[in-house]
Amino acid sequence: MTNNKKVNKKDIGKLLSQWSQEFAVFVPSIESGVATMARWEGKDTSFLDWYRNTVIPPKANFLPPMEEMFSFRKDREGYNIELPPNGGKQLIFGIRPCDARALAIIDANFKDLYQDPYYLPRRSSAVLIGVGCTNPYDSCFCTSLGISPAESADVDLMLTDIGDEFLVEEVTDKGKKLTAKTSGLKEATKDDETRAKEIKETSYNKVTRKINAEGIVDKLLASFDDQDYWEKVAAKCISCGICTLLCPTCYCFDINDELVRQQGARFRSWDSCAFPLYTKMPMENPRQEKWRRVRQKVCHKFGFFPMNLNIIACTGCGRCIRLCPVNWDITQVLESVPVREAKPQIH
Amino acid sequence: MEQKLRSEVKALLEQGKVDWIIGFEPGSLKFTTTPLITKDKNDAERLVINPFIVNNLANFLTEIMGRVGIVAKGCDSRSIVSLIQDNKVAREDVVILGVPCTGVIDLSKVEKLMGKDRDELNDIAREGDKVIIRVSGKKKEFPSTQVLFNHCLACESPTPKEYDILLGEPTPPILAAQERIEKLKQMTPEQRWGFWEKELSRCIRCYACRNVCPACFCQRCFVEETEPQWVLPAPRWQDNLIFQIVRNIHVAGRCTDCGECERACPVNIPLRSLTREMYDIVGELFQFKAGMDKDALPLMTHYEEKEAEDFFR
Repeated sequence: MTNNKKVNKKDIGKLLSQWSQEFAVFVPSIESGVATMARWEGKDTSFLDWYRNTVIPPKANFLPPMEEMFSFRKDREGYNIELPPNGGKQLIFGIRPCDARALAIIDANFKDLYQDPYYLPRRSSAVLIGVGCTNPYDSCFCTSLGISPAESADVDLMLTDIGDEFLVEEVTDKGKKLTAKTSGLKEATKDDETRAKEIKETSYNKVTRKINAEGIVDKLLASFDDQDYWEKVAAKCISCGICTLLCPTCYCFDINDELVRQQGARFRSWDSCAFPLYTKMPMENPRQEKWRRVRQKVCHKFGFFPMNLNIIACTGCGRCIRLCPVNWDITQVLESVPVREAKPQIH
Repeated sequence: MEQKLRSEVKALLEQGKVDWIIGFEPGSLKFTTTPLITKDKNDAERLVINPFIVNNLANFLTEIMGRVGIVAKGCDSRSIVSLIQDNKVAREDVVILGVPCTGVIDLSKVEKLMGKDRDELNDIAREGDKVIIRVSGKKKEFPSTQVLFNHCLACESPTPKEYDILLGEPTPPILAAQERIEKLKQMTPEQRWGFWEKELSRCIRCYACRNVCPACFCQRCFVEETEPQWVLPAPRWQDNLIFQIVRNIHVAGRCTDCGECERACPVNIPLRSLTREMYDIVGELFQFKAGMDKDALPLMTHYEEKEAEDFFR
């Protein structure tokens, strides 16, 4: 007898069906070769065979690429404003530890620094069910950022592939409450736990790409003014938005109004510091040059964010490396930051 | 070819004939290369030529000051010529190191055929008109037409027509049928509309398609205009469609069918079905192929008296 549960892989569909009664269930799904977290259709659990990670990070479930903040209509009395309906409770099945940590990092901004009224209700009502990553990509480097590919404190339930079954660990009270009302779970044995422990260790060792995160804040600050270095690093960057928009921790957004005749809506959508427009102001643009934008991206994630919020805004998911059209590799960039005497200077 | 490239590059830099070299070096992931932009002659040793040199390096020409030696496949050289035609680059400022190209391997096709991701494969090798893939002790052979990029299979001039140094023997074109575009043409307008709605709904407006494109050299893109705003910057599919249509019209007569827009797309939108169709329409209507002749006037920015439209006069 242990504290943990287990479930046969063949029964995952049954669990998802039960949860569909209460939640909008999202699972890894593939469309035209692009993996994303999509609404579960009620049958298919074949993702268990092919799923490594999604292209579109699960942040999209909480901070969608585009959302209506409100709509408005003008009549004689003035503007009528209507808020969009509240979405239902989401259950995300199969989130990886890197992406679950990424949500915790976004929380630092959208929950702790200020309370975002669109993000928070989705986030607090959601249940995250993690599935350990046993086949990390060669671009993954989560272990350098204190994340284990098959362990997570950032989910509600954590599943580990132990062969024909998953070991189910209850990580939070929310997770406990869910398992309490879920049928089809069995008690796990000591052997199951031992097996899971081995799998976790093996998975950890499969992550071979590394960065040295220690002292990175000081290193970056000391080289902040080194224009030659940043120009060199930025040379091959094409200033597209892939690495930021598809980063699970990047949360920057843009707001636009659309007014057609007397009515319209205000939209919020993903934005990227790689775009010159991001910082464009009426008279000037402080980041017109590419090297300044590349520097901002690196220094925000590995310098300013940890300085202000005590955590590096990167989880080593490797999407920015895998998906980059020019193979701009953040791990190589961090490796190449010149070592010099620290002289903190923030501009 | 690689050895010749390295020694030529070294000589160019040593003799001061160029300030910069743009080429390819091994990438950080399996089966990848990455652009190498350097002034250092010692970097010549890092240069490679292999079946994974995907990028169109002409894209960097407009942002680098000085004289540039550039490694160019057939398509890249067409883009360079197109930039010369448009006065974006001066012919005397580039030394074209031409690569007679036998086609570049499309890793997503390999993944589909193998049922495995690229990092799970041990080796991918080109041998003549075959590609040999090794995974966990097993060996699989495919005709190269099954694994090369679609644009390589449609490339009429894989050997650069415009070059200063040709790094090997000229290679013949492959010219396989363009099945995907044919399929689209056979659809009814409603079906095609549905097709593009579905495909463009995935767009996240990262603008990688625009930013990898040497023909997209505008200092300010219309999507970034804020006064007035031409399209919503948010990824609503209709706005994504407007973006793609306008981009296509803007690169008509400049697009050299290098396929980079489609390759760069992180959400697999078949963008080349649009650009190639435009390329063919331009060819049909104006008997013009972008990047074929540096002395030809650029299609969209010159006017001839015999042209029919009265409103130009």
